[in-house]
Amino acid sequence: LNAPDFPCACFACAQNHAMHRGSITIACKNDPAETERLQQKICRFCELHEIPSRAIHALDLALDELLTNILHYAYSDKATHEITVRVEAEPELLNAWIEDDGKAFNPLEISPVDITRPLAEREVGGLGIHLVRSLMNRIDYERANGKNVLTLQKMLTRNK
Amino acid sequence: MQIREEKEGDVLIVSVDDRLDSFTSDEFENLLLQRIESGQRFFLLDWTKLDYVNSAGLKALLLAAKKLDPVKGQIILCGLATNVQMVFDLTGFHHLFTLKPDRAAALECFRERG
Repeated sequence: LNAPDFPCACFACAQNHAMHRGSITIACKNDPAETERLQQKICRFCELHEIPSRAIHALDLALDELLTNILHYAYSDKATHEITVRVEAEPELLNAWIEDDGKAFNPLEISPVDITRPLAEREVGGLGIHLVRSLMNRIDYERANGKNVLTLQKMLTRNK
Repeated sequence: MQIREEKEGDVLIVSVDDRLDSFTSDEFENLLLQRIESGQRFFLLDWTKLDYVNSAGLKALLLAAKKLDPVKGQIILCGLATNVQMVFDLTGFHHLFTLKPDRAAALECFRERG
């Protein structure tokens, strides 16, 4: 999360500039109401940067799944913790980072869901991480300084 | 989220509006499981006004379908928005559930099965 802040150029760009460069960093507490506020801010950021609506939905859903997981599983104490999310918009790419100081958890180690299985053999769990993997083009996990850092990348296709 | 129930013959129509997410899906899940427990077998889920579903909503649906399978029950969904349809496609739920464009088509599908 130490990448330099690009100045948000969305109001300075020429009007025919379809997508704009910019970034937003939001810190919130491990409280469901806070994470909802965080998602709303990120969606607004994406709208301002004219990110295609399908990509906004993909990012919104992926963040929802990951934040829900953090709230449910990351903390065994009752203390307040900080979760930081950063989103960077580039002309053809969305990057997102999520950082939490909860238990070490690498979502990439969760076994993939076999979506071709019939109903009786379908597992009830694992769908959230499956969705994140399907929605994003690239996911990287790192445990550093007692924190989980998940990096997401979504390629943007115009008119989608 | 808002849930409404209507009965059409032996089909229970359940409309779900707005969002089915980690905050709201428990209520939806409990309702389906309670109705199955009390003998309801055929469900038409009208999702025309549902904008958003996440894995918590899918889990509720999967649990209900698993309970209905051995007792020959069925869930048909109708009116899926683009974002919701995409979530079904990505998770293979479009293979597990019958999806219809609207209520009329879904009810017709129940009638054809007798």
